[in-house]
Amino acid sequence: MKKLILAVCFLVAFQSGFSQIKSGEKLVYAASYNMAGMMTQLAQVKLETNTVKTSKSNYLHLSCEAVTFSKWDSFFKIRDLYESYVNPLNLKPAMYKRDIDEGGFKKKEKYVFKGNTVAATIKKRNYPESQKNFSIGANTQDVVSILYKLRTINFAAYKPGQTVGFTIVFDAKEIPVVVKFMGKENVDAGNLGAKDCYKVSISAKTDALKGRDKNLIWLTADAAKIPALIRFSIPVGTGQLTLKTASGY
Amino acid sequence: MKKVYLILALLFATVSIIFTVLPMGTLAFMPIIPAIAFAILAMRNSDGRILHGSRLILFVSASMLLIVIGKELFVKDEVVADKQFEQKKVESEKEATNELESEGL
Repeated sequence: MKKLILAVCFLVAFQSGFSQIKSGEKLVYAASYNMAGMMTQLAQVKLETNTVKTSKSNYLHLSCEAVTFSKWDSFFKIRDLYESYVNPLNLKPAMYKRDIDEGGFKKKEKYVFKGNTVAATIKKRNYPESQKNFSIGANTQDVVSILYKLRTINFAAYKPGQTVGFTIVFDAKEIPVVVKFMGKENVDAGNLGAKDCYKVSISAKTDALKGRDKNLIWLTADAAKIPALIRFSIPVGTGQLTLKTASGY
Repeated sequence: MKKVYLILALLFATVSIIFTVLPMGTLAFMPIIPAIAFAILAMRNSDGRILHGSRLILFVSASMLLIVIGKELFVKDEVVADKQFEQKKVESEKEATNELESEGL
């Protein structure tokens, strides 16, 4: 009976997204932007994980940084840092931080998740810091943890066209997100070589993402589900992130 | 007509210099190729100032082409070590850990 209960628990955990994200993982991407029809490499994007401990809990620290290549620094320097501190088992966020500096435009945000409430602290440019509390759903993710949460979905069991819904919080607002499985494709995955990948489309009720099936992620079709390629369509244009190196997964 | 070709060649050559200086990568080919084409068209059966001008523009455009190809082949895209940014990351993690601790999370 005990074994049966344990088996059921594992089955439920996998279906609901038991995290297989490891501490020490490092994924490095080259970010390109479409200029007059040609993809021009602008920046390096790095996704890293490490463990952070408090006296009560262990957290998985997910960090995403974007840094312009040195040739662009003189013209438009980007130093962006997005972080999420999550439960290592279910990737539920406890804290989200955003600290961006893009061509001199600076913005800082911090969300502390306490149950179904978020205590947000926002600082933009030289304006004074503002604070805001708002309610969220029980399963709301932030923009960093959602990328890792996607990797826990069992796409092997999905049919093309099948969707799954999430809710994220961004710019102090909850935004519904729909993830659609579009099939499998072979994609160059940097140091991993050419890999079969799950092609997934992301759509959200927000002005931040444009077009239908224009925001795509290719996840390697293995247990790690590393994002090998990400294509995006945003108000200022289109671009992509191509995986260069993956380690520690 | 040759004057028109020369003016167009000059315009594209100017843009090609700008694109070559900026880190536009192979996007610089977009003004370089028309600059070369219009310079050649202006050169055909020309003499005097137009011939001299179109040769100069052709030389400049061809130089820009070589510079762009050289940059693509030999200059690698890399991120410069930014101590300030690295420090910011460390401090951010420390601050977050302290706050998680103080919030009892």
